[in-house]
Amino acid sequence: MFEVFVFATLNGLVTGLLLFMLASGLTLIFSMMGVLNFAHASFYMLGAYFAYTLSAYLGFWGGLLFAPLIVGCIGAAVERYGLRRVHQSGHVAELVFTFGLAFLIEEAVQFFWGRDTKNYQSPELFDFALFTLFGQEFSAYRGFMIAIACLIFGALYFVLTRSRVGIIIQASISHPQTVANLGHNVPLIFMCVFGVGTALAGVAGVIAGPVLTTFPGMATVLGSIVFVVVVIGGLGSLPGALIASLLVGLLQSYAIAADVGMPELLHLLGLSFDSSHPLNDLWTLNLPQIAPVLPYLLLVLVLIFKPTGLMGNREQ
Amino acid sequence: MKKQLPVWLGFALALVFLPSIFDSVLGISILNQMTIWIIFALSYNMLLGQGGMLSFGHAVYFGLGGFMSVHALNLIADEVFVFSITLIPLVGGAVGLVAAIFIGSFSTRKSGTVFAMISLGIGELIVASSLIFADFFGGEAGVTGDRTYGPPFFGIEFLQDAEVYYLGAFWLFVATLFMYLFTQTPAGRMANAVRDNPERAEFIGYSTRRVRFISFCAAGLFAGIAGGLFAINYEFITEENLNALTSGRVLLMAYIGGLGFFIGPIVGAVILTLMNSLLSNYSEMWMLYLGIMFLLTVIFLPRGFAGFIMMHQIAWQNRRLGTLILPYFVTAVPALVFLAAFVGLVELSHKGDDILPFFGLSLGAESMLSWGILLALAGIGALGVKLSRPRLAAAWALANTPTADDRGDVR
Amino acid sequence: MSLLTLDSVCKSFGSTRIINDVSLDIEAGEKHAIIGPNGAGKSTLFHLISGRYNVSSGAIGFKGEVIHNLPPYEIARRGLARSFQVTNIFPRMSVFENIRCALLWSEGYRYSFWQLLGRQRTLNEKALDVLEQIGLSDKAQLPSGELAYAQQRALELGIAVASGAELIMLDEPVAGMSNSEAENAVALIRRITEGKTLIMVEHDMNIVFDIADRISVLVYGEIIATDTPQNIRSNARVQEAYLGEVPSDAKGD
Ligand SMILES: Nc1ncnc2c1ncn2[C@@H]1O[C@H](COP(=O)(O)OP(=O)(O)O)[C@@H](O)[C@H]1O
Ligand SMILES: [Mg+2]
Repeated sequence: MFEVFVFATLNGLVTGLLLFMLASGLTLIFSMMGVLNFAHASFYMLGAYFAYTLSAYLGFWGGLLFAPLIVGCIGAAVERYGLRRVHQSGHVAELVFTFGLAFLIEEAVQFFWGRDTKNYQSPELFDFALFTLFGQEFSAYRGFMIAIACLIFGALYFVLTRSRVGIIIQASISHPQTVANLGHNVPLIFMCVFGVGTALAGVAGVIAGPVLTTFPGMATVLGSIVFVVVVIGGLGSLPGALIASLLVGLLQSYAIAADVGMPELLHLLGLSFDSSHPLNDLWTLNLPQIAPVLPYLLLVLVLIFKPTGLMGNREQ
Repeated sequence: MKKQLPVWLGFALALVFLPSIFDSVLGISILNQMTIWIIFALSYNMLLGQGGMLSFGHAVYFGLGGFMSVHALNLIADEVFVFSITLIPLVGGAVGLVAAIFIGSFSTRKSGTVFAMISLGIGELIVASSLIFADFFGGEAGVTGDRTYGPPFFGIEFLQDAEVYYLGAFWLFVATLFMYLFTQTPAGRMANAVRDNPERAEFIGYSTRRVRFISFCAAGLFAGIAGGLFAINYEFITEENLNALTSGRVLLMAYIGGLGFFIGPIVGAVILTLMNSLLSNYSEMWMLYLGIMFLLTVIFLPRGFAGFIMMHQIAWQNRRLGTLILPYFVTAVPALVFLAAFVGLVELSHKGDDILPFFGLSLGAESMLSWGILLALAGIGALGVKLSRPRLAAAWALANTPTADDRGDVR
Repeated sequence: MSLLTLDSVCKSFGSTRIINDVSLDIEAGEKHAIIGPNGAGKSTLFHLISGRYNVSSGAIGFKGEVIHNLPPYEIARRGLARSFQVTNIFPRMSVFENIRCALLWSEGYRYSFWQLLGRQRTLNEKALDVLEQIGLSDKAQLPSGELAYAQQRALELGIAVASGAELIMLDEPVAGMSNSEAENAVALIRRITEGKTLIMVEHDMNIVFDIADRISVLVYGEIIATDTPQNIRSNARVQEAYLGEVPSDAKGD
């Protein structure tokens, strides 16, 4: 029992931190521009695919370095030539634009790389067990993922609180108009933030690609979950995003690991139904089955009871 | 209403005679799809266009209505209930309405991002539950029914697609009429007001939540009706019909058509259904084209195709619409050349060893000449557009300045 | 009995107290002006009365009912209508529709989805009548967002008064208008508030002294005086706190 718990925690941590890498960029973009970037996970997918292609020539590390750069440039271009124009038509149009972008990127990935799963591998360097606990191995690559995520959080935190740029960005988050009046080039800041945000997603893609498999549906798998995370955490709140990422990661991981469900609950209540009952599916439900739903359930509950999210303070 | 009588008559006549014009199997099948999607897209626009609620989960009501309708078909077949299948859309509508009452009771409290996110969350929840409750939703395979049981409707047993078409056309007409009339009622008009300025709406006596709720329920009802038609037409339904893909598709239709106009979603549904049915036969890449078209529409035609047509109203009033024909033509020709070359390039890159027929030419991916021709055409097209655009812009500006004799007219 | 009663109303945002212990009685039929420097809390007071903000403490009564902390629509339905300092209209709807929507609740249509607006002859005539009064008849079909500034202000006023509410609250109705536009607006306000109760925030003293029966002076969230125009003019505290700022007046030492 205890070993299951420990491994569920570790796995939840890895998923949570991976989610955070995406959520941090999404939060950054939202707080600056007021745009919820529906295509964020698509940039994550692009990161994985570019890294896959680059790693054939430059190795894993080359991919890790250059793929996020390429993704960031694409992101900046999207902001400059797409989003900025759409901005005039209002927030709905922006949301719809990123929605369409997600669709287009998925199609484009299939166009350039095909529909099949890519054999994108983690470097041999990490092909060993970091430690063995209760006879189960924890791979070094997962440790590496945790390290990278922590590094990103640290760097972001440092940049946002300690640097001049960070102070301007923070100011633009709360008072965009004033910042513009102070003579800062807000459109340029927007473009850079969008570029950096998408590049962060790219990093996540590069390091998640080998573990979660690189295939055209990988954006869809994570896309709405990341959305859920930033909304639960509170739109525009970085600490909220971290908490919500870990929460969702752990929640799912525990739910998958816990082998309990309605049969046990009914047993506890002293009830029983035979299998011909019309709601049989309900009575045999167990936690691993509903694990994928939990984040959405959490989302709906949070939004009903605290529309601003756990740590957020603005609604729209 | 009186002024619009000819429009509605024309609509009814078109519905009656369309199958005689497009009488192929494919034609009827496309028309059938259109009846479904037009109702669905119009219902979506009750939310987004009329009420300012961006939903990413509207397929839930469509799908639930559809599932229940298929089950109703089966109940009819099993003679548990006996009623004519012409009433199936009402079953779908009732289910959509009930679901919307339930979900809308908490989701319409806020609009904007919160509403959008709740709709997304609910959508995912329902999709996930549909895989869990395999008895009702049939798991991945979905559920199937048969529309030919049940008492015949004046001798019609709905064995043929054309018969189904007239059933769909009837419901399309009724649903469209009622959705239009809804926009002309106090509740419908206040939905616009709440969309424009929720704060002020509260100060003229209306609870924004209640106004949104009513629109939301109406949208659920009509989405359910569309779902019922879907069930009759296809006789099966799967989880795919209530997931995010379907929700996204209806959003696409409404947006491409134009949210600001009642007719917009109709235009969008027609265009997208056509593209879906026709392009998918010719090219595996059609989804890519669709994505590109969608983004270009959002960027360049923020008010959709209907908005684009409406943009010509002033020129029409100025009686200068005619002056635009030649400049349009001069720009459109190179634009089409570019488009054709672009599509050619995309297709050629995925042809492998096959030959790509291209306006009488036979192009091959191996031959440099083929690539050269397409690239050259694309270049020529782009250049042509670039050169002719200033003239089009000038003509546009001219057509939109009032003529001397009606300069006094304020409108 | 007074139509509107404020009893020790306070409002704080965070730790800053914006409205401090305001008590005020407005009689039915009275024309009441609230004056005070910028940032004194006049708009906030309006928001409290009309339900946009909840009060921090104190009570507000309207026609003998407690209305504080009710949602705005509940208060509006009881016969209180207001305009906003910053134009607050329905920009994508036509001017005519703006006015007609403002009439709907008071005409008893509620959330009806079974009546067609085009068929409601009395309603439409009333809306046209209001349009006529605010001088926007010829712009009836224009999207209201496309109106010129002064016209939008007129529409703002029209939405507030259309419903025929007993108590009308106008927040700086003529701010930003040219002299002649303001003159028209004042004549309009006079005409449409005839026989009604009016509370108005206004900076132009000529207009205030012209229209108001009584004036309240709000400074730093507190009412320092409520009296007739003559007495306010000669009130020493008011002169010191407020009118004293007007350069043409004697400044004392
Ligand atoms: N929602 C709010 N949150 C915090 N402070 C506010 C808020 N609304 C108004 N204030 C503050 O209250 C004070 C009074 O504002 P206001 O009522 O608009 O003044 P007036 O209308 O008299 O010019 C101002 O200092 C303003 O900054
Ligand atoms: Mg004010």
